Amino acid sequence: MNAFTSPDDLVVKPNGLSMSDDVTRMKGLLLKNIKRSAYVYRVDCGGCNGCEIEIFAAITPLFDAERFGIKVVASPRHADILLFTGAVTRAMRMPALRAYEAAPEPKIVVSYGACGCSGGIFHDLYCVWGGTDKIVPVDVYIPGCPPTPPATIYGFAVALGLLDQKLKAETYVEAEGEAVPLAHPAIPYNLRVLLEREARQMAGYRQGRDIVEEFLSLLEADDRTSVEARVGRLIGGETDPRRAEIFSRLQAVFTQALVGGVS
Amino acid sequence: MLKLLREVFRTGEATHKYPFAPIKVAKDFRGKPEHDSAQCIACAACTIACPPNAIAMQTDVAAGTRTWSISYGRCIFCGRCEESCPTGAIKLTADFELAVARKEDLTKTAVFTLARCPSCGRSVASAKEVAYVALLLGGAEASAEEAERLRLLVSTCPECKRKHDVEQVMRLDIERQMENR
Repeated sequence: MNAFTSPDDLVVKPNGLSMSDDVTRMKGLLLKNIKRSAYVYRVDCGGCNGCEIEIFAAITPLFDAERFGIKVVASPRHADILLFTGAVTRAMRMPALRAYEAAPEPKIVVSYGACGCSGGIFHDLYCVWGGTDKIVPVDVYIPGCPPTPPATIYGFAVALGLLDQKLKAETYVEAEGEAVPLAHPAIPYNLRVLLEREARQMAGYRQGRDIVEEFLSLLEADDRTSVEARVGRLIGGETDPRRAEIFSRLQAVFTQALVGGVS
Repeated sequence: MLKLLREVFRTGEATHKYPFAPIKVAKDFRGKPEHDSAQCIACAACTIACPPNAIAMQTDVAAGTRTWSISYGRCIFCGRCEESCPTGAIKLTADFELAVARKEDLTKTAVFTLARCPSCGRSVASAKEVAYVALLLGGAEASAEEAERLRLLVSTCPECKRKHDVEQVMRLDIERQMENR
């Protein structure tokens, strides 16, 4: 009897298609000196269409991928590059394989978007294979959710061997006696928490943090004027009324803390 | 015809020069998440916040290490990790040039050491996290003795803490005090 040890065991692993030696050689030649237009066929394997929108944004005059001879074609039989988007749903596996088989050798397979690269946010869904590389051999991965048109152009440049990839696998090992210092040690921790909470309530986590950092650096600033005067100057010079409002709220919190005392 | 030509010259060239010239991305553009491993305390807040599980953490108790890892291929660039990070170790940058030919190049890992409980020797959290929390509780101006007490307090595992509490209560000798009342 087979005992399942993990949910992964329940997934049928399809065999990736293998490439024969001369196809690999031909592909190497194609990558090295492609001296003509590269035709792209787009295979949507169950994406959300965000990737498609960005692909079409990349061939608009603003980014104009066609100036590099990158042309989107309507049939896989014309294609040099196959662009797989989406997390490969169960239903799209066979059509995707048919498109792959229909494209003439040598062909370059590009996995597009977070879903294509590794399944993205759908990676553990029951109905997806979780990435293009689970069904066909992939040459270039373009991550992004969706990749912006410049990222798309960069990805194609990598696929055609015009540009080198910048990203490299990295491993960091903690150094001996490494410690993280406390941010803003001059400001009492409880006051900092109050200010951060107020800013986050007003502007959300991301912008709230930016705003509170600005305010805290103002408090820490080593000059002769009073904090009120400094904050007043900041609010006076602020063109965005929403930011000015948040800064005045932060000042109110600060004054309240001074009056009420912060432990 | 002339009218059209005039229109063409008036409009100028709309196409971006990229990739021959760098492109200017919008403010607050969410690109590659940059992990400053020296600032990271391996608290796993980003791991819990990450919607597609692109950020993961694995604890190897035998080796005494905790490994943080990110897969840029799975990242959806939502910025939740940046929001949840208590030390600001992970930040989304404007870098969008992430295309790679090898999938392994899409990952980054960082290995941290685990702190051991001073009582039972089990590991509960990373050494940097323990040190950071002790610093947070004591402030920067804690005396050496106080800092050592805090470090012991923070690095003790919850089970041992409970055990110590019981011992403390036993030492108080509540029964005798109740009889004397």
